[in-house]
Amino acid sequence: MDCRDFRENHFAFVDDTLSGIELVPMARHIAECEQCAKHDAAVRRALLLFRNLPPIEPSPNFRARLEERLLEAKKMDSAPAHRSRQFAAGVAIASVVMLGYIGTSLRSVDTPRDIILPPVVATKPEAEVLPIATPSASLVASVPAGGSMWTAAMYAEDAPIHFASADLRLINTTR
Amino acid sequence: MANIARKHAGQSQGATVREQLRAMDDSGVVTAFLGGEERAFSELVDRYQTRLLNFVYRTIGDREKAEDLVQEVFIRVYRHLHRFDRSKKFSTWAYTIASNLAKNELRNRSRNPLVLLQAVQKSWQEDDRPLQFEDPTSRPDDMYRKRHLREAVEASVAKLPEHHRNVFILRELEGKSYEEIAEITECNLGTVKSRLNRARNSFAEIVAPYLE
Repeated sequence: MDCRDFRENHFAFVDDTLSGIELVPMARHIAECEQCAKHDAAVRRALLLFRNLPPIEPSPNFRARLEERLLEAKKMDSAPAHRSRQFAAGVAIASVVMLGYIGTSLRSVDTPRDIILPPVVATKPEAEVLPIATPSASLVASVPAGGSMWTAAMYAEDAPIHFASADLRLINTTR
Repeated sequence: MANIARKHAGQSQGATVREQLRAMDDSGVVTAFLGGEERAFSELVDRYQTRLLNFVYRTIGDREKAEDLVQEVFIRVYRHLHRFDRSKKFSTWAYTIASNLAKNELRNRSRNPLVLLQAVQKSWQEDDRPLQFEDPTSRPDDMYRKRHLREAVEASVAKLPEHHRNVFILRELEGKSYEEIAEITECNLGTVKSRLNRARNSFAEIVAPYLE
């Protein structure tokens, strides 16, 4: 056994929890290695000191304070049960009220009623004055009435110049 | 006359119950409490108050706070005893609660430096007090030496890392088995053994100068 193995198993050596087979090499090592023997003695001495520290006792009013705190705890434990009963009753009442409201709302939806709309004020637009002075009867008959466009095209040459624009002139392409 | 006789009979019956409870093991006392015997809780407090107080005090190093925490342990035990798994040891359960509370306290202190400062100031004030823990029949120099050594040992324990200290105290002060420590600290057995070994070595190193 080397020092590392000894240190690793030292806690069990101190606690006397090693089996006989494990104990023999530990005891042999401690007899041979001065360093590990010193370490073993230092640990045992330190532990002895710690184990002999005087224990502290609870203060005289410890029990009285504990009794008080226990009483408080008992009160707190019983309070939530009471509160939860109140809460359950509240929820039940609210549910009944809500169901009643929904019932009455549904009944009012089923009955048909006339729809009354607010009065609407309408105005008659004024007639727009068009720049056309005196269109021929055929043009009036074809274009504004929604007739076929070809009729209008046939009579285009007959339309007065100012119908489209004052600057436009008809060009004779045959010339 | 009849009233006095009835009262006397009641008292003797109460004393008998207490004696019976004292003779029981923890498991029996717990069963009695769960069966409606309120005095059984008092018996549990009697059995564990000093042990738990020493364990928590050595872990956190503040006596007043340790008392508060031990009271909290008993309140939790009272509230949750009906949920306690009776196939396990009551002491392990009680120490687990105490260990967790002590751990939380140390965590809170590290988060709140003011609390730590107050604890340190309290220990300074304790230094100013007259020597009250030593045997008054001892010689003054002996008393001083003993007190100095006790403080050195307590300071050395306090220097151990929290998770080492916990295992160390449970083993050295409370005499818990490795398995019980593993259960209390919620660690595996290997971790407990390794922590215990390291804690012992560190403690021996820290305290060595005071022993020379």
